[in-house]
Amino acid sequence: MRSERYIPYVLILPSVLFLLFLFAWPLLEALLLSVRGSGGQWTLENFQRMAADLYFKDALKYTLLLTVVIVPLQVVMALGMAMLLGGISRGRDLFLYVWTIPLGISDLAAGIVWLAIFTERGYLNSFLQGIGVIQQPQLWLSYETPTMIFVAVVAAEVWRATAIVFVILVAGLQLIPKEYSEAAEVFGATPWQRFWKVTLPLLMPSLQVALILRTILALEVFAVVVALGGRNLPVLAGEAYYWYNAYQNPGVAAAYSVIILGISVVATMLYLRLMRSKREGAA
Amino acid sequence: MASIRVENIEKTFGKFKALNGVSLEVRDQEFVVLLGPSGCGKTTLLRIIAGLEQAEKGRVWIGDRDVTELPPRARKIAMVFQNYAVFPHLTVFENIAFGLRMQKATPEKLRANVERAATLMHIENLLERYPAQLSGGQRQRVAVARALAVEPEVLLMDEPLSNLDALLRLEMRAELKRLLAESRTTTLYVTHDQVEAMSLADRIAVMNTGYVVQYDEPMKVYQEPANTFVGGFIGSPPMNFLKVRVEGQQAQLQSLSLKIPTPAPGPEVLLGVRPEDLEAYLEPQPQSFTAEVLVVEPLGPHLLLTLRFGQQLLKATVPPDFRVRAGQTLWFKPQPDRLRWLDPGSGQALAAR
Amino acid sequence: MNLRVLYMLLAGVLVVWVLLPIFLIATLAFSDRSSVFAWPKGLLPQQFSLETIAFFFGVEGVWKAIRNSLTVAAMTLVFSVLLGAPAGYALARYRFAGADAYRLLILMTRAFPLAILAIPLAVQFIQLGIYDTAFGVALVHTALALPFAVLVTSSLFLGIPKELEEAAWTLGCDRIQAFLRVVLPLALPGLAATAIFAFVISWNEVFAATLLTLRERTLPAFLLTSLNDSPLPFRFAGGFFLIVPALIFIFIIRRYLFTLWGIANR
Repeated sequence: MRSERYIPYVLILPSVLFLLFLFAWPLLEALLLSVRGSGGQWTLENFQRMAADLYFKDALKYTLLLTVVIVPLQVVMALGMAMLLGGISRGRDLFLYVWTIPLGISDLAAGIVWLAIFTERGYLNSFLQGIGVIQQPQLWLSYETPTMIFVAVVAAEVWRATAIVFVILVAGLQLIPKEYSEAAEVFGATPWQRFWKVTLPLLMPSLQVALILRTILALEVFAVVVALGGRNLPVLAGEAYYWYNAYQNPGVAAAYSVIILGISVVATMLYLRLMRSKREGAA
Repeated sequence: MASIRVENIEKTFGKFKALNGVSLEVRDQEFVVLLGPSGCGKTTLLRIIAGLEQAEKGRVWIGDRDVTELPPRARKIAMVFQNYAVFPHLTVFENIAFGLRMQKATPEKLRANVERAATLMHIENLLERYPAQLSGGQRQRVAVARALAVEPEVLLMDEPLSNLDALLRLEMRAELKRLLAESRTTTLYVTHDQVEAMSLADRIAVMNTGYVVQYDEPMKVYQEPANTFVGGFIGSPPMNFLKVRVEGQQAQLQSLSLKIPTPAPGPEVLLGVRPEDLEAYLEPQPQSFTAEVLVVEPLGPHLLLTLRFGQQLLKATVPPDFRVRAGQTLWFKPQPDRLRWLDPGSGQALAAR
Repeated sequence: MNLRVLYMLLAGVLVVWVLLPIFLIATLAFSDRSSVFAWPKGLLPQQFSLETIAFFFGVEGVWKAIRNSLTVAAMTLVFSVLLGAPAGYALARYRFAGADAYRLLILMTRAFPLAILAIPLAVQFIQLGIYDTAFGVALVHTALALPFAVLVTSSLFLGIPKELEEAAWTLGCDRIQAFLRVVLPLALPGLAATAIFAFVISWNEVFAATLLTLRERTLPAFLLTSLNDSPLPFRFAGGFFLIVPALIFIFIIRRYLFTLWGIANR
């Protein structure tokens, strides 16, 4: 017999080796790095230094807060956009293209774009002056106004990364046969009821993917924050960066990365568990 | 041209046994149809002969070459697929020339073969088109032309007409028959359509659950089914099977007594009779049995009757001018030379006449 | 009827929401220095000028950073397709033990913030001698793009009927010939979209690129590390320049966007 069993394994082998080298191994390495001292001994020193650092509490607080504010905003907005797209007949393709443009824009670029708006002599202040709210330029992005930096970061992130949620949801909607909604309509469901009772439950798998993906990306938020507020709004990924680059301390940087990894894993598990039980409850 | 011979082919997919030791021989220049319901293993057998699947056991010969270990490209076969598998990125010409290019045919031979195959299939004016610009029927023609162009020793066809609409299928069926009678290429043809099988085949191999249950000429398969499966699968409506009491050498149906040619296996026997072989009468007849009419379906060329005979249902066809209503009782006489006797336990025919 | 108008209105507002900031940064990038610092600013550009853009490209290191970015992105593109497409093909065409485990591995990579892994990698890369090289950064970017490449190409190959390949085999092709003559031409547009997607992922990535380089900065890394001590016009021009290729790429691959994500969902 000609044997072809080995073919698929030959085909996936390179990518498996690659992912072992650049995913599994560094994952392990990050853990090891965080619990080892400079002499190679086992220690919790890195985590202690991290926790004792001035910025740590704020970084943790702002990272979580940003995630909790940005992700639901994006999901609701993307869901609205996806439903809106269903109600549009003319120019659908154009709207689709324009709404997905931010997909290609990096977090750093988005940060810079919104810097142009929020900076001292930026468009926001010009606008406020134009409608007579302020006379002189207002300083929005200083260490004295962390709330405003926070708002600017939220705006930039919602502007940039809602598109990805939107695309996932639209792709998910395309997989749902129209007949379900039509059947519900025949049985007298209002559009609102159809959305809640038919579309949304069937969209659950896509929502889950979008939530997991966005949450993980929100937890590593970095360049937007740096562009808009420097270190005035500390975040975890930023601290990891500073500890590695400025303080030349890979151990503490690794400790930060382990914290981010840990929160990501917990969040993913949480989504998987919560949304599964919901689906079973519906069935 | 060459014969095909397969011996003891066995194939399993996971836990599902697709083929249970199938042996079959297709003579040189013969047109054989593999007929059976879906899941019977007919397509798997064809794909094993093509080299697209590997059997666990058994051997495949094409002509006098053992091709069991050979890849498809070395078997000198050509295949027509159910979904045509016409290459969408190539013109009709390049599609038909594909196999010849792989054989590194000379430009003259390539052109000649492509044109001959295209002319045979009446698509010589479509050579510059792309498949997207063709209808389903035209794509079908390209697929057949592509297979013929390489002058294969054996032509394999996997339900080639099943994706066409009914009218086109009828037309292509007749055309295929003409074409293959002309080219005399050994052909193995898979279908689940019994009419297609009857109309095309020199011989039909009826398959069920991974076995070849009967392998014979079309009319033989129709008139002398090897078992209840074949009788039921071939013919529309299918053959009736009546359970009848046996007394000595005679089967007794009311006033009708029929001689069983071979000793019956037990107190009862199955009588197989086709609906068109039951003659219906409005008045009582000697040597007949009665049945109550349940449903009358006018089908054009004839009326189809659904009848109750004791506890059993049966079908009969009568001429369209036959005056009958549901609820009536009719007298029936079967044509004595068209009867089939089967074992009620195994469903197998008792013996060849 | 009224509802339709409302829908169009909302959709229009969203278009403005997406495009206005891009328009504003473009306006700044094509203004002269004085209008970048002007107060208050009008919505429309005062006068078209290449001063800011010219200043940006005049800064030392910018051209080198652009070259590095292109090199890294091109490498990422090649690695992702070369590693991802065969695996995608295997997932699409073969049923094999371990296929599900492999899918899980691919999906798992998406449940981790991969860029963060640049920290332990930086330490290792120094030992391996690939720290501060385009190759090293491209490796990490490939890790980011590979899961996409695998899932997308697998859906791509699934969309090409297996019978086409089988027909080619019966007509005299071996596996490689059948792939090259039949599958590849049909998969090419989708493969190109995959490649462009990988390119954009790399072009935009900043965290790993910053951590893994010192002198051989990519453009985002260069911009990020010089944010604090660079004037606003430089930042705006840089931000604008970062956006431009992305806009073009998204335009090119827009037809594939939803197939990309529709399948990547499952």
